[in-house]
Amino acid sequence: MKMSTDVNLYQDQLYDFKGLWDVPSICGLKIERKENKIIIIVTDLFEENPGTSITEWNTKLAKELCDKFEINYESLVFIEHTPNKETKLSFNRESFFQVKFDIINDKFDNPQWIEMTKEEVDKLITE
Amino acid sequence: MKFRLIFPKWRKLEGQTTFNLPPHGAIVFAATIPDYVEVEFIDENLEEIRYDDDVDFVGISMLLTTQVKRGWAIADEYRKRGKKVIFGGISTMLHAEETMEHADSVFLGEAEGHMSQIFEDFRKGELKKVYNHMNDLPPIEIVGPARRDLYNRDLYYHKGVQMLDLFHASRGCRYSCYPCAVSYLGGRNFRPRPIDKVVEELDTIDNNRLFVVDNSLAQDTQWEKDLFKAMIPFKKKWCSHTIEDKPEVLDLAAQAGAWYVYQAVFDTSDYIKNRVKQYHDYGIGVEGTILLGLDNQTEDDIKRLIDFLLEINLDLAEFTILAPFPHTKAWTDLKKQNRIFNPDWDDYNAGQVVYHPKHMSAERLQELYQYAWDTFYKDETQEEKMFKLLKKIVSRELEDGTFKKRRKDLSKTSFGKNVKHKIA
Repeated sequence: MKMSTDVNLYQDQLYDFKGLWDVPSICGLKIERKENKIIIIVTDLFEENPGTSITEWNTKLAKELCDKFEINYESLVFIEHTPNKETKLSFNRESFFQVKFDIINDKFDNPQWIEMTKEEVDKLITE
Repeated sequence: MKFRLIFPKWRKLEGQTTFNLPPHGAIVFAATIPDYVEVEFIDENLEEIRYDDDVDFVGISMLLTTQVKRGWAIADEYRKRGKKVIFGGISTMLHAEETMEHADSVFLGEAEGHMSQIFEDFRKGELKKVYNHMNDLPPIEIVGPARRDLYNRDLYYHKGVQMLDLFHASRGCRYSCYPCAVSYLGGRNFRPRPIDKVVEELDTIDNNRLFVVDNSLAQDTQWEKDLFKAMIPFKKKWCSHTIEDKPEVLDLAAQAGAWYVYQAVFDTSDYIKNRVKQYHDYGIGVEGTILLGLDNQTEDDIKRLIDFLLEINLDLAEFTILAPFPHTKAWTDLKKQNRIFNPDWDDYNAGQVVYHPKHMSAERLQELYQYAWDTFYKDETQEEKMFKLLKKIVSRELEDGTFKKRRKDLSKTSFGKNVKHKIA
């Protein structure tokens, strides 16, 4: 798979998780701790991910990451990153979505996606 | 033990020629059932279900998303009568959580190697709610010949002409195409069947014409060439999805009986034009598959694409509207953009717009879909073009002595129903 070369700006490590029906899955992960917020960027790895996509699993994944990395839900900014696949199709271009969840009784639910520009994401992680 | 295996019916697309091909997944699954079980297969597209017949256990095999609601309704009827129902198949996996609400048991994954345990659990009254084998796909070597003996064969004839038999030579796919869920279903690895196993199965098929249903044969050149070499002696004629366009592959494919292949036409490039020509140069027909409603298509793009199809001498064309099936990138993209407006699975038939397209209204895309069919088949209907393609294969069959005459006893029926003749 060809992805844009600056993918690592948004990915410090690979993260293994059990996806839908316990299928082993993998995504890119970056955690940026700021004064009053903690930004999690998960990156879709397309063909390199043998299992569930970050979008399909975002409620479970966001909770799992918060628990594992001791992130307070209230300070979480969760971003889904889809890298440029460099195909001819315009909709395979890089995209960023902030995902907001309803969190009730320790459970993440009802994901709502808000598209962000690359500049907005860069500003968020570098400010 | 009597096990009734049902393939639910679905609403066919309006205005298109309907051919009922014998279902494949269900009989591949049936081949994994222990010998002591008496299996009966019902294709509900062609046969009525008699709910009060004496059966012990019911299986529902679902292939399409547009089939799932019907599958669930059938299960509800049986469960009302106290019968246990297990679901399996592609769309069971795509809709597993919803299906569990209508099932005693749901099987996820590929059936080989697992059915003895499940039937034993049923006998002991210990059927599990989910058999999750998504994660341990069986070795491809153990996939055996499908149970074609279960078909009610006479139903798969149209005016005395036998429909194609479906057949698979591999599973899985290393590609991960935008609208496709195969990577979720079959793993992201291409798993070709050993050639001797393919040969063993081909030997069991009493039909000169096949549809090789593999997602794409163009994944391993050496295996593909070995496959075609092994198919040559059978003298069968077949259609398939994509094959590689290397001359040595096309030459072997033609010798092996390639009749026509499906070719995705996604732009108006010389690449597509040349590829169609290459197939034709080897005597292989081409059915273009054209997906409408992608985010990079404007109304003008779609119209240009249809004009292009007429220029490149496709033998047939099949137009579909993007359907965001669960577990595809199309689905996740449209879901996060909040563009899916129709959640009714019955309408996920690739002929109905269920989401807001990027460059036009849903209504306009629906009109363009109809325009595409009407324009492509304006001078020659789909049936006429199919007949032309059929004639080509008949002449090849006559040459190699494999032609089978149409069955006179079924010449006045179509898929089990009497054909009404028009009186001039």
